[in-house]
Amino acid sequence: MDYMIRDKIKKVKKGDQSAYEDIVVLFQSRIYHHCYRMLGNAHEAEDIAQEAFIRAYVNIHSYDDKRKFSTWLYRIATNLTIDRIRKRKPDYFLDAEIKGTEGLNMYSQLATKDRLPEEEVQGMELQHHIYQEIANLSPIYRSIITLRYLEEFSLKEISEIMDLPLGTVKTRIHRGREALRKKLRHV
Amino acid sequence: MDCKNEVVELMHEYLDGDITKEDETKLGKHLEGCKACQQHFHELKNTITLIKSTVETKEVPPKFTENVMKNLPTEKKRVKYMR
Repeated sequence: MDYMIRDKIKKVKKGDQSAYEDIVVLFQSRIYHHCYRMLGNAHEAEDIAQEAFIRAYVNIHSYDDKRKFSTWLYRIATNLTIDRIRKRKPDYFLDAEIKGTEGLNMYSQLATKDRLPEEEVQGMELQHHIYQEIANLSPIYRSIITLRYLEEFSLKEISEIMDLPLGTVKTRIHRGREALRKKLRHV
Repeated sequence: MDCKNEVVELMHEYLDGDITKEDETKLGKHLEGCKACQQHFHELKNTITLIKSTVETKEVPPKFTENVMKNLPTEKKRVKYMR
């Protein structure tokens, strides 16, 4: 797998655009989901995930192939999502909550078939509530929590993706967990 | 031990899989005798379970790869050798 990626990247660096198509196919799902978890909106997620792949292509020569390609790609995507969150108008969250359809669509897919309707609604509301609390964290904390618990990266990988010292990642993950504990303790 | 800081710090080290054997024993002993810290630890573990429960999968939008490929800058044309 790693060998295959390395080989494709070599070709891309030599100007073979079609080799990049295989890279996109390979990573599209992970990068799209990461953007979606960060942004909570399917349209924005698609937009930003597209942008991430285009930026990676344009900057492929700055990718050092001694490092993991996925980490480098995640770094581009994460930075783009953080920028997007910071650029949102202050009333964005309020709007999103009033409409709430994104969240409901997103969580309704989770429900298993054998659940009773009432349980399904409670499940959706709970998921939506937890997601909202994660979304209320500042973008850096949100990325770290998402990378750690929803994408299961190690702390060391997160420090590479976020370009932060390992100690800083640890401190932030501790604080992020404490902040969420306080919000979710009565759930 | 100071429940407020030292023990909570150990809990986080434990949750990161970062704790030494010695500290783990220390944490375990403290938790046995301290209801408040037991509660705190329980809430932290519960929080992680709740966060993980929001993981969901969604179909990647149709034509995702196609759209990326369409929007890549065209390959730079080789500069012609000018005489």
